[in-house]
Amino acid sequence: MLTNYFKIAWRNLKRHKAYAFINVFGLSLGIACAILIFTIVSYHLSFDRFHSNKDRIYRAYTEFHGETVDRNPGVPSPLGKALRNDFTFADKVARVITFNDILISLPQEKQVKKFEEASGVGFVEPAFFDILNFPLVQGDKKTALSSPNSAIITQTLAKKYFNTEDAIGKVIRMSNKTNYTITGIMKDLPANTDRRQEIYLSYENLKERNEWLAGDSSWSGVYSESQCFLLLKPGVTQQAAEKQMAAVPHKYYTGRDVQQLNFRLQPLAEMHFDGELNGNADKRYLWALSFIGLFLVLTACVNFVNLATAQALNRSKEVGIRKVLGSLRSQLFWQFIAETTIITVIAIAFAYWLAKAGLPYLNRMFEEQMSISILLDLRLLVFIVLLCVVVIFMAGSYPGLVLARFKPIIALKSKISQKSIGGFSLRRILVVTQFAISQMLIIGTLVIAGQMNYSKTKDLGFDKEAIVVIPVPSNDKTKMTTMKSRLQSLPGVDKLSYCYMPPAAGNNNNSNPTFENKSEPERWSVNIKNGDDQYIGTFGVKLIAGRNLYPSDTIHEYLVNETFVKKLNIASPQEIIGKTITIDGVKKPIVGVVKDFYNYSLRSNVAPIIIGQNISNYGNCAVKINMKNVKTVLPAIEKIWNETYPENVYSYSFLDDRIARFYIMDTIMLKLVVAFAGIAILIGCLGLYGLVSFMALRKTKEIGVRKVLGASVPDILWIFGREFSQLLLIAFVVAAPLAWWAMNKYLQDFKFRINIGLGIFVLAILGTFIIAAITVVYKSVKAAIANPVKSLRTE
Amino acid sequence: MIKITNLEKIYRTEEVETVALNKLSIHVKEGEFVAIMGPSGCGKSTLLNILGLLDDPDAGSFIFNGIEVAHFNERKRADLRKHNIGFVFQSFNLIDELTVFENVELPLIYTGVKPADRKKRVEEVLDKVQIMHRRNHYPQQLSGGQQQRVAVARAVVNNPKLILADEPTGNLDSSNGNEVMQLLTDLNEQGTTIVMVTHSEHDARYSHRIIRMLDGHTVMENIMV
Repeated sequence: MLTNYFKIAWRNLKRHKAYAFINVFGLSLGIACAILIFTIVSYHLSFDRFHSNKDRIYRAYTEFHGETVDRNPGVPSPLGKALRNDFTFADKVARVITFNDILISLPQEKQVKKFEEASGVGFVEPAFFDILNFPLVQGDKKTALSSPNSAIITQTLAKKYFNTEDAIGKVIRMSNKTNYTITGIMKDLPANTDRRQEIYLSYENLKERNEWLAGDSSWSGVYSESQCFLLLKPGVTQQAAEKQMAAVPHKYYTGRDVQQLNFRLQPLAEMHFDGELNGNADKRYLWALSFIGLFLVLTACVNFVNLATAQALNRSKEVGIRKVLGSLRSQLFWQFIAETTIITVIAIAFAYWLAKAGLPYLNRMFEEQMSISILLDLRLLVFIVLLCVVVIFMAGSYPGLVLARFKPIIALKSKISQKSIGGFSLRRILVVTQFAISQMLIIGTLVIAGQMNYSKTKDLGFDKEAIVVIPVPSNDKTKMTTMKSRLQSLPGVDKLSYCYMPPAAGNNNNSNPTFENKSEPERWSVNIKNGDDQYIGTFGVKLIAGRNLYPSDTIHEYLVNETFVKKLNIASPQEIIGKTITIDGVKKPIVGVVKDFYNYSLRSNVAPIIIGQNISNYGNCAVKINMKNVKTVLPAIEKIWNETYPENVYSYSFLDDRIARFYIMDTIMLKLVVAFAGIAILIGCLGLYGLVSFMALRKTKEIGVRKVLGASVPDILWIFGREFSQLLLIAFVVAAPLAWWAMNKYLQDFKFRINIGLGIFVLAILGTFIIAAITVVYKSVKAAIANPVKSLRTE
Repeated sequence: MIKITNLEKIYRTEEVETVALNKLSIHVKEGEFVAIMGPSGCGKSTLLNILGLLDDPDAGSFIFNGIEVAHFNERKRADLRKHNIGFVFQSFNLIDELTVFENVELPLIYTGVKPADRKKRVEEVLDKVQIMHRRNHYPQQLSGGQQQRVAVARAVVNNPKLILADEPTGNLDSSNGNEVMQLLTDLNEQGTTIVMVTHSEHDARYSHRIIRMLDGHTVMENIMV
């Protein structure tokens, strides 16, 4: 019986090639997108899930209770020690303090080799390797870092530095200062971990890098890369541990800090998704993608149902014969399910291939290393099998039921009416669903694109164009001064400034300021921008009161922004000039007020900002160049830099590119939504084309009669136009409020955002209208200009 | 074999009621060859559909082989039909996507005959209707007469007790028509009961008895000598 089903199904597909193509192609596109989306979502959900004690692993983080509650993934460095000594809830506690963009050189090699390691180094306590599963392929994890000046590096780095994985005993030098002997080789990091350090060093050496962080009494500040991991004892809950940790501020802090600080635990599973605590992914995006995937599969299934029911009329004779010969309804139902199975399986095979072909593009887009293999990934296999079953039943059951229900006599006489196959009403609903999905995606695309464009073009309060940012590896004043004068003499260099970071940056230093002689600091923190007297000039930050800073190497005076003034409830910027501010114990006067500028992405409000000079904190040099000379000026800057810092590795970035990275996920989402919206529309068009073909066929007689009675070609075209315009409008009524709701939710995340204007909705409906018109025009014109004699004869 | 008494069938639309069968009573004995004649719309096809258990009557009794079947559900009707009744239609009604062999094989699949037996029986019956040489062809590749021979082969492959033929020669030229009528006659001689609806007096002469219908009931019966 089954062979018979498949035989006839296969022959039917061969016979109706266009129908088969539309179905297989539409389903393949939908399923391929679903596979890709599944890969993205499951990849992100798999982050750091490979650690054997994953459900007992936590990271301590800091909560600041000021005017708002702010969280920081870092903790004061002595906290780890306190958690270990004062409490018993953890099996293991390990501190890891990371520094990014570190220069590594190889002192033992004949020729000096230098490497700039973006992921930097982590000073780590040995217990770290008991908490997290980063196995060593050589060396003993318990002893590898127990002596000072020892290092663990990954297999890849070992090969990169020494051309061999067998690098135990070899020496690396960090920042041209300290030598470390390699005592362990760590297995290469899997793609799905957020712990990207490839070099771990003895915690004991931290004092050489940063004495303050290494101190046991450094409770007063939080460096976001000073982190503490814990393996809780079995049975200990997060709540129980946090309850005990509430005693920490009472023991180690005094005054208002006791109330303002709190240390909490973040489960491993949440680390990847919590943006505030440096998580890299956003679950909302994954949800949005999942919904889009569902929409795409749905729209492909809708196509299938639509075409299959339309085609059911052509199959009525066969159904009639089978029924006459004794076939039961259920047998007919399963026959059509078998047919759908063939189409779905072919579509899935094709979709799998499509998804594999599309993955490298996604990997490039996300800068990730995702993979698709049903042989290696059981979850993917299960997903594909489930998807297959769902699609078969979603797409096949309705047409199957409709066909199996046919009355044999009517079916044999091919007198099955539109009504008995669900009529136009069902297909109208299905087409409306497809149009609505397409319109929602179009509106989504337009809103995200609008917001991205707004982010790119909005006046940030400073100049981000044509500014090259180069690192300053050491704060040697002579070198800095020499480099500055050499750079300034280059034709094409307009201005330059030494600073900690450009005005808008992901890394920020914050502290609570004390105004004038108040006894306590404010309950809000200020964003400290260290920059020289050229800072506001180079970045085009506008001075609105007072004067700029006088040149100095240390903090002598401050500039503040408008928000800072407002936070202190001071009526005008002029009034604050001459007043003093104490930051981290340094009391200095305010000499100027600058216009507000965005210090991070448009997702955040403008913070109160203070600008002060401090040469020891300058990590970057911002060079404003004339873009006409970019081809000559960039190599010249590089040359001067290399001559100034011969022992370091040169790198540079454009400020606008750095700012664009704040919106990297939005940019990726925009690309994905555009691509998926395009695919949804294409699938919808395929279905629409198929549907209009059937409609033209069914209306042959009607068109013939109308033409004989004097209808013109436009009159006939209107039969089709009216039908699809109505559906489009209904779809719009459904899609517009849903899309408005969803996109409003998306925009709420931005403190500074666009309004969803009428234009977007007009564009969406016009867009779908034009696309639908292009799709139906060929078939409907063909039907309209056909000779009525011929069309009447066919009846 | 067939005993119908006071059978009624009324087709209703929202505004119109059409009486297709009006208290019709007919009796067909086993082994008989009966022709049903009458003008278009007299209810012949409705009668044939009810006899073939493809449609159910609104009132009256239909006894088939001693069992009242008038109100059988779909499953029971399908079961009775596939084991006992073969159909021959005017427009052949072969499945275009199946070969001659596969078309004839189909009723055996539905009655659950094993593949080896199926092959044997299909070949026997194709041989009988002399179409064996076209076994792997598709219906579109055959002439009308050949297609109808295939349809007859399909109708008899399950050895049904009853064959219902709806204008079996309606789409055929006279020589092909005669061939098909001869086939039916042969089957009848081998013991199969045949009920045939026809417009053709010529074809009707092959039968034992002609039932003439008008407006849903019988008006005359002619016994053929």
